[in-house]
Amino acid sequence: MKIQGRQGWITQCKKWSKHKITITKQDVHSGGAIPIHPIILNGENLTLESIEAVALGQCLLELCPLAKEKMLQSYQWVQDVCKTNKPVYGVNTGFGSLARVSIPPSKSSQLSTNLIRSHAAGVGPIADVQTTRTMMLLRANALAKGVSGCRPLLVENLLHLLNVNILPKIPMQGSCGSSGDLAPLAHLGLMLIGDPLGEAMVVEDSGGLTYLDAPTALEKAGIPPLILEAKDGLAITNGAQLSTAIATLNIIEGKRLLLAGELAASMSMEALLGISRAFHPAVHNLRPYLGAKQCAHNIRSLTTGSTLMDSVPEKLQDAYSIRCTPQVLGAVRDMIRFVESQISVEWNSATDNPLILLDVNDASQGDPENKAFSAGMFHGEPIGMAMDSFKIAISELANLSERRQYRLTTGNLSQLLPPGLVGKDRPAIGMIVPQTTAAALVSENKSLAWPASVDSIPTCEDQEDHIAMSTVAARRARDVLRNATKVVAIELMSAAHALSFRLDERPDAQLGIGVSHGVSNVRKCLAESSSPFSTIGEQIEAIAERIQNGDMLDNLPHLLDPSDSCTPDGETL
Amino acid sequence: MNWPFNKSVDLQKQTIHIDNTPLTCEILGSVAQGAPIKLNTEMIELMNQNAESTPANSHILASKRHWLTGDPSQSGTNLCQSFILGHCAGVGTPFPNEIVRGAMMARVKVLSSGCTGSRGIVAEKLVEMLNLGITPVVPSQGSVGAAGDLAPMSYIARTLCGYDGKQYENFSPLRPTDKEALALINGISLSASIAALAVLRAERVFNAALWAAGLTMEVVRAQSQCLDERALRSRRHPEVEEVGVILRSLLADSRRVLDTNKPDAFSIRATPSVMGAIWRTIRFAKEEVERELNGVSDNPLLFDGEWIEAGNFHGASIGLAMDHLATALTQLATLSERRTFRMTHGKLSNNLPSFLVEGTGLNSGFMLAQYTAAALASECKGLAHPASADSIPTVQHHEDHVSMSPIAARKTLQITECLADIIAIELLVGAQALDLRLKEDNHTTPVHLEELHVQIREDVPFWQDDGVLHPAIRSLSVMVRHGLPTLS
Repeated sequence: MKIQGRQGWITQCKKWSKHKITITKQDVHSGGAIPIHPIILNGENLTLESIEAVALGQCLLELCPLAKEKMLQSYQWVQDVCKTNKPVYGVNTGFGSLARVSIPPSKSSQLSTNLIRSHAAGVGPIADVQTTRTMMLLRANALAKGVSGCRPLLVENLLHLLNVNILPKIPMQGSCGSSGDLAPLAHLGLMLIGDPLGEAMVVEDSGGLTYLDAPTALEKAGIPPLILEAKDGLAITNGAQLSTAIATLNIIEGKRLLLAGELAASMSMEALLGISRAFHPAVHNLRPYLGAKQCAHNIRSLTTGSTLMDSVPEKLQDAYSIRCTPQVLGAVRDMIRFVESQISVEWNSATDNPLILLDVNDASQGDPENKAFSAGMFHGEPIGMAMDSFKIAISELANLSERRQYRLTTGNLSQLLPPGLVGKDRPAIGMIVPQTTAAALVSENKSLAWPASVDSIPTCEDQEDHIAMSTVAARRARDVLRNATKVVAIELMSAAHALSFRLDERPDAQLGIGVSHGVSNVRKCLAESSSPFSTIGEQIEAIAERIQNGDMLDNLPHLLDPSDSCTPDGETL
Repeated sequence: MNWPFNKSVDLQKQTIHIDNTPLTCEILGSVAQGAPIKLNTEMIELMNQNAESTPANSHILASKRHWLTGDPSQSGTNLCQSFILGHCAGVGTPFPNEIVRGAMMARVKVLSSGCTGSRGIVAEKLVEMLNLGITPVVPSQGSVGAAGDLAPMSYIARTLCGYDGKQYENFSPLRPTDKEALALINGISLSASIAALAVLRAERVFNAALWAAGLTMEVVRAQSQCLDERALRSRRHPEVEEVGVILRSLLADSRRVLDTNKPDAFSIRATPSVMGAIWRTIRFAKEEVERELNGVSDNPLLFDGEWIEAGNFHGASIGLAMDHLATALTQLATLSERRTFRMTHGKLSNNLPSFLVEGTGLNSGFMLAQYTAAALASECKGLAHPASADSIPTVQHHEDHVSMSPIAARKTLQITECLADIIAIELLVGAQALDLRLKEDNHTTPVHLEELHVQIREDVPFWQDDGVLHPAIRSLSVMVRHGLPTLS
């Protein structure tokens, strides 16, 4: 996507710094007036914005008639094959290493049902609503491509459940991410077939959850249980959609965190009377990493008009945690961009096995009429490796933030701020203990950043002998992200506090235009979320929540280059 | 899911006395899960005597935390309140009640040493809270485990001193002195509590793993020489021998294990060596945790009317022990997963059918049970990355080396959760395999394994055709968490 001109930038920034669609859950339920068009699923057009809207329950879903047509054709081919003796994996054979066993056509429905039941082997905590919705959406979209040999009804049922917000309970542990997130998706399958052992949850308008068994849930949703046909079981389970769902939501939050991280860095820099030369475009054009150039630009932009920056002439250079911010956060930025480019491929991909490719004529196995292509599209490696990279990047973002927070609270490193930022709005205790909290969080991230995808354990009688561990990678990446968000929240709080000391000390000082908004956003959050008995911990959580939902960037998007679509010469605005 | 450590109602009601006898992981577990406690009067007197010896003009907080206030004379309740509330900077999901109760219990024990400069009333109030069932909400993240678990312990102190704005029936808050406010938070009682529960869980899950190992060896028809008494004794690790004794007794009179010298794969043959080493580590961790539970982690300490400044709050011992335990439990996870793999693998299981169902093809049987075990084992590998290998300077260069003990302990606890499911899967798969063997050979099964089999079958049926694995794994996972009969 190319965006031209300043207005284009602003629109784009607004879009992904915050995705506000004014529609209530009630609208979804009543099917009442909905200000945006429903998303028409065709297997080709999911974007980060549309996925987020669906995750949040902000729009309805429909299956595109053309996609329906294509699905029907591949479905028909599978039905025809069932009448012949041609062996097709998973249609009339067993699964995994059991592909050697052939199954009579009369048993193909039972084969699919058995697959769902025997594969529902998940354990551990249940996925949250947004993750579950995203997983279902991504699975529906993969099937809508019309290469899986399953009926449109399967996708329509999935979309209906999303529209009425009645969802399966998906245990998060126990998936290796190859041949897809088998166990989590099989739990989705249990709900679709109305298995008495399937578990479901109804999302109330209030956001509360009621738990039901699958048959009752389907009744409430107003759809009959799906009687599976040939290939349906594989179509439901073969793909790494839980991994991708978590990864996608991570990217949405990660991008917001990055911008909040740049804001926090800019605020700390002003409080520590930083030197702006380190962010000069001429410098960054000589080592032209796109992310670094964008980060330097954002820092300059946020600190525009500051009289605190460059106010200590005798200081020649700042410590790394300030001076090297563009190099570090720029690398984080580049990594997030790469990760998004990887994961975005997955949103609109077929991940099934085998694929039914009706318009391909391939005689390599002797029969060009055999349209079933067995491959390894379900393998979660691209997602696993991307998430491992993502969590390393996010850990570094937090490490840098923690070190600045340390400087802010440490007398001889802080350009004479009061030690520990004690006094004023925060009498007696200052911000020393939150720095310890930040240290604990970044330390925890170091273990969590251990790459899951470097591991592989052979499964399925050595047939599935290399697996991705993408689900573990994505879940750990989410843990790292949540910890990092709290670290940046602590820096925002400390920096806002430090800046109010600076303003006391220099009453006529000017804050940078963006930094000044940042300070107000933090103050506003603290004022709105604090009660007489709220703890510092609760205040940190309140700021973290606003980083997560984008509120912390209020009034700032026009100053920030968000983005994955910077002009190549680096001078972005 | 729960890991009940005081299952019998009697035990729940049995009052635990805090006196000079050592505090064990078991006692802590029992109090953590609801047992009432009583502080003996000698301990209260000891504490009071110690507090009375406090030198005049001890502005502990003001001198310890010079950044706390510019004015050392501004001592007293307000200062204590600012101090405690200022340390309430924890974040994240709250701890389960049992961990918080365990931390309170561990703190009572520290205070009862009578060298922390705190009056008896402080420990008494903690005991009152425990007995009344007042359990503060404590966020699980934010402690680096040096200068103690400052943030989490502050949430306990906050409720104890009535700074949380809440009223509790029959409970009047403590009005702490300077040193008491410090003594409530300046130690790693929270890490110790998590660690003690982790050790109890580790013992329980290890015991279940012994049962599972015996069952697996029976059904894959292991060669019995790997349990030879002479061979195991020659290894000179007592725990290796003990594992051997247990497995030999589980497999006594087995007609399925083979007396050949055709060696099995390592996950079978090396079981005594691997599990022996794991057992040793669990014992080491327990010893280390129990030392901690009976030691004084606080600062400064008051001896003979003199304040002594030391570093007793540092969590290195717990951090290292927990990282070590995490690694050992991860080995238990990978070992069990490989045995599950063998049982489900048609070519590795001494002629059991692939995935342990008849009519495979249409049925996938226990195929996915092994995937789940593999995913969980892999997750353990990541969690076993040592937390205490890290240290980050905090508090203005002052607290410049920290232990990360609570992180190490929390991750170990997470590993025990994964491990309970992994062992449950081995038991589930093993029970199915045993039924298939029974059909084939009609041999009698060794008596203990037969009892285990019956027990499993009460919860989970034989799989004639494909069934839903999730509830079956969950049932046996509950069985593992509740504890199988102890083998020794």
